[in-house]
Amino acid sequence: MSLRPRAARRGVALAAGLALALLAAACGSSTGTSTASASGATAGASGTLNWEWELPTSWDPVTSTAGWDMHVLGLVYASLTTLDPSGSVGPGLATSWKYAPDGKSVTFTLRPGLKFTDGTPLNATAVQQNIERGQKQSNSTVAAELSVISKVVVNSPTSFTLDLAQVDYQVPDLLAGKDGMMVSPAAFKNPGSLPTHPVGAGPFKLTSYVPDSHADLVRNPGYWDASQIHVANFTVQSITQPEQILASLESGQVNVAYIAGNQVASAKAAGFKIAVIPSEVVNELDIQTTSAPFNKPQVVQAINYAINRQAILQVQAAGYGAVSYQPFPKGFVGYSSTLASLYPYNPAKARQLLAQAGYPHGLQLTLTTVSTSDSLAEQIQGQLKQAGITAVIKDIPSDTETQYLYLDKTIPLAIDGTAGRMSPVEMLDVLYSQQGLMNVDGKAGTVPSPVNQALAKALTVPLDSPSYPAALRDAVTTAVQDEPIHIWLYTNPRIFAYSPKVTGIPFDLVQQRWEGVRVAG
Amino acid sequence: MTVLNMPRAAAGATPPRRRRGRIIATRLGGGLAVLLPIVLISTFITYSLGALSNSDPAATILGQDAATPAAVARLNHSMGLDRPLIVQYWSWLTQALHGNLGRSYFTQIPVAQSIAQRLPVDLSIALLAVLLAIVIGGTAGTVAAVRRGGWFDRGVTVVCSAASTLPAFVVGIILVVLFAMTVHWLPANGYVGPSTSVPQWLAHIILPSLALSLAVSADIARQLRTSLVDVLERNYIVGARVRGLPYRRILFRHALRNAAGPALTILGNDFPLMLAGAVAAEAVFSLPGLGQLLLESAQTRDIPVVQGLLLVISCFVIVVNLIVNVTLNGLYRTSDGIGT
Amino acid sequence: MSSGAVQAAAGRPARGRRSLIGPRSVLRLPSARVAIAVLIGIGILTVFGATLAPQNPLTINANALFQGPSSHHLLGTDYLGRDVLSRLMAGTRLSVLTALEAVGIGLVLGTVPGVATVFLGRWFDFTANRVTDALMTLPSIFFAVAVTAALGNGLVQAMVPIGILLAPFFFRVTRAATLEHARAQYVEAAELLGASKLHVVRVHVLRKVLPTIAVTTASMTAAALLSVSFLTFLGIGVQPPAPTWGGVLSSDLDYLAQAPWAPFIPGALIAVTVGALNALADAFRDRSGAGTLLLTAPAAVTPETLERVDDDRRSQPAA
Repeated sequence: MSLRPRAARRGVALAAGLALALLAAACGSSTGTSTASASGATAGASGTLNWEWELPTSWDPVTSTAGWDMHVLGLVYASLTTLDPSGSVGPGLATSWKYAPDGKSVTFTLRPGLKFTDGTPLNATAVQQNIERGQKQSNSTVAAELSVISKVVVNSPTSFTLDLAQVDYQVPDLLAGKDGMMVSPAAFKNPGSLPTHPVGAGPFKLTSYVPDSHADLVRNPGYWDASQIHVANFTVQSITQPEQILASLESGQVNVAYIAGNQVASAKAAGFKIAVIPSEVVNELDIQTTSAPFNKPQVVQAINYAINRQAILQVQAAGYGAVSYQPFPKGFVGYSSTLASLYPYNPAKARQLLAQAGYPHGLQLTLTTVSTSDSLAEQIQGQLKQAGITAVIKDIPSDTETQYLYLDKTIPLAIDGTAGRMSPVEMLDVLYSQQGLMNVDGKAGTVPSPVNQALAKALTVPLDSPSYPAALRDAVTTAVQDEPIHIWLYTNPRIFAYSPKVTGIPFDLVQQRWEGVRVAG
Repeated sequence: MTVLNMPRAAAGATPPRRRRGRIIATRLGGGLAVLLPIVLISTFITYSLGALSNSDPAATILGQDAATPAAVARLNHSMGLDRPLIVQYWSWLTQALHGNLGRSYFTQIPVAQSIAQRLPVDLSIALLAVLLAIVIGGTAGTVAAVRRGGWFDRGVTVVCSAASTLPAFVVGIILVVLFAMTVHWLPANGYVGPSTSVPQWLAHIILPSLALSLAVSADIARQLRTSLVDVLERNYIVGARVRGLPYRRILFRHALRNAAGPALTILGNDFPLMLAGAVAAEAVFSLPGLGQLLLESAQTRDIPVVQGLLLVISCFVIVVNLIVNVTLNGLYRTSDGIGT
Repeated sequence: MSSGAVQAAAGRPARGRRSLIGPRSVLRLPSARVAIAVLIGIGILTVFGATLAPQNPLTINANALFQGPSSHHLLGTDYLGRDVLSRLMAGTRLSVLTALEAVGIGLVLGTVPGVATVFLGRWFDFTANRVTDALMTLPSIFFAVAVTAALGNGLVQAMVPIGILLAPFFFRVTRAATLEHARAQYVEAAELLGASKLHVVRVHVLRKVLPTIAVTTASMTAAALLSVSFLTFLGIGVQPPAPTWGGVLSSDLDYLAQAPWAPFIPGALIAVTVGALNALADAFRDRSGAGTLLLTAPAAVTPETLERVDDDRRSQPAA
């Protein structure tokens, strides 16, 4: 008789134990401290901005393998210069600069009294250390772009001179992006921690980071332009599935989301505001012309003719954007009208070219993409089929993409896009020069000398010179026609769907900035 | 085996407490004798998956350029990959017991760390799902049995049959459509740890847990109803009612305890099903859990991560089944069906 | 796994009717009739699906995205303007065939040792039981995904481990059923008369064990179909543009905002097929009295539970 109640209690105890275990286990949550939502609120800054955006491949600008990272890195790091919304370079950490008459060196003046979030002074010596690390660290992805700087001379704590290996008037532009992001030298002692624990002097400071999930940041009052930052807390959340993005907007989990053109209608219907920001992003296919069958130029041309870019624009982006055959969008200084209709859709011509190349019965190839339901890949696959090309779609996880595609260079054909760069010539360099990160031929291929010459020439023209636009256009035309390693598809404006509580989102061409943004309520 | 076939009520031979202690000890011992080979075999299967794959970790770690045959051989030797499989397996297992599951080929992050970071997500969901399954399934099954033949009983039977055929990912999608997209009550994705905010944590895990628990609730409800109907017709229950004991007391103290056994067994059986459902829930609700880690590391053929995950998961299954078994023993031992 | 396969009956072995199942007796149940009709329909789709489809499942139509059901597209169109009905019909073949492949593997790997273990002695039994228990600790989806890590991302590679993990269920069921029948008096008589074990198995035991195997096969096919749908939902073994049930469901999930009704269609298809299989399994069980069997999870296989299954043996008087 006395046994039964005990047994019953045992059953209850077990259930209670399970409940406690649930709480206890769940309490041991992810790394990083929790965000203290009050700590970021200071004079006039309030509210939290929850941004749906892709998390970086690395929080260290020197080892980040994707140009896309610049948007998120720009939250924690300040660059030496800043681009204004239209893409013209202006002051950042440096207030002014002056080129020597021969164009082979440029002297910068830094703001005084700058500090990193860990208290280390941000002076000319720190700049020197940063640039040298970018050039010399073994796994640096910016070394090629910084190679134009042969020496950094510290003149005073607020002044430094960059000696250049050749005449290059785009160095201030270059330093507006990842290449000019300043990392606290105190953190250099432990370079392995930087990819997950950044220390910078940017508008925000990272307080917690869960890979593949989210990052929490608070406003940095020590930022040189802190008076323009009106948001107290910031989170970045990476949501991979398109429908989840809209759902998270609706539930209030994010208040600014990056959406595709074909989601605009649904977002508008749900009562969100839409910002269509012109950007430098162009979707394209990276093609390795050093691997068969792409080493035959007719095969590459056939693929170009087989793709119906207009249909792709319609389905993937609901018309937001424009068909493109070159790296810069229309209206941009480097846009070349000669290339305006380079490969009109013509599957019959594609078949002809294939036959000429020795593939009268068609061709089989592998198209690599990220994301399992990539409708762009399927659409291209369907179009290629009309031209006799059978494409097998291969999916790779998104965090391995840059490794395989850019570093190992083991993927012959992949869906990709450019994120844009601060300096147009830097962009072309990344895309088309032999050491360019996005040149998937890499050392195995040889860049035709006309391309190299055109690129070099464009660098030597000062940005305000009347001959600059022509020099840039010439470089673009030469590169696109002589080095067919990028199959351009369509330009992709940056489309945000955002809550009406958010105001003042700047329309930046290259890197999204947050000065002037307010979150009400 | 016969020595373990302890007689149930050898009345008065030895004092009850000492005899029970001996029974527990021998049962544990016998249980371990059975458990140990199980653990060894299942962990060996897990480990040998790595041998099955022909992926080349050395090339991944060293990078394309540096992977000369000499460097590869050196790395393989330092990682212990040139030893016989059994030796490798044993060393992996013993290391695992110390909490060292190796490092990811790709990111070099310790596997144990990646798992520990994501474990709370799945644990929260799985445990809440178990609780929900017990509550929902238990209530439905009990009410259906008590009012057997009525409309509730028939309704429950139909719903259960439907619910147990719906895979967790389908249920999850339906829940997202209903609660996150149409009525906006709950977040549709993401995960917030309880250390950040308990209400938000609950809001994030309630839908995935519900999706997970429905199939199991259905199984439990059906099983409980069957067993309870059976038990309620037994002599001792009828006898108790005749004697005038209150119905609720009979129900909870006697009937449910006896009927709960098979339903609990279902919980133990369905636990692997719930783990699979957790993977589904992660996919549907964008949760940073173990399932996503498994999918990604499988795609990149990151073998140490895969092995570590499988080891941890099968340990969970074994532990859960042990708990179920202990509970079953507790229930059965004190309720031999003979009223005292 | 399917709930239908797990029935705990507190150790009561079935000693009821042992009439062999015949198509006629099963067909008397209305639920079974509906189930068989559904399954025949699925079977036709498996064989002829692609040709019966009203439109080409692969044709992309940029002007007809996310359309609802209409006379031209009975179940609407998807994110590339393709006809949903045709895609589901074409996808039936892959899903069903791979599910059957997994069940076949499980059947062979499970029933053969299940029957053999009764005749091959204590050590074989112990080892077989432990291997079975060990396999049951590995959750099937995790294991299948893990195997794709080793062998590559293909549906065939993923279904082989599913099949291997179905084997324990077949093993347990077959073993228990064989034990039940192998101890019958006439079998012992036959052995005394000099019949070889193989003869005993072939002539006496197999026929009696088949109903049980049939029940389990139906339930396990349902489970395998769910596994295929799930794996293709996760993206494993999906070779675009070839449609699969799970793959269609997964992409429906991505475009929920544009087409909230969409996932219900493949979801219903999966549920109906699985439900039909389970109903069929229940019908077999009811009609054949094929026994309710105790299938417990590994760590719960204590000496006690072993005893319960072995009860038959001990309750017979020693010869």
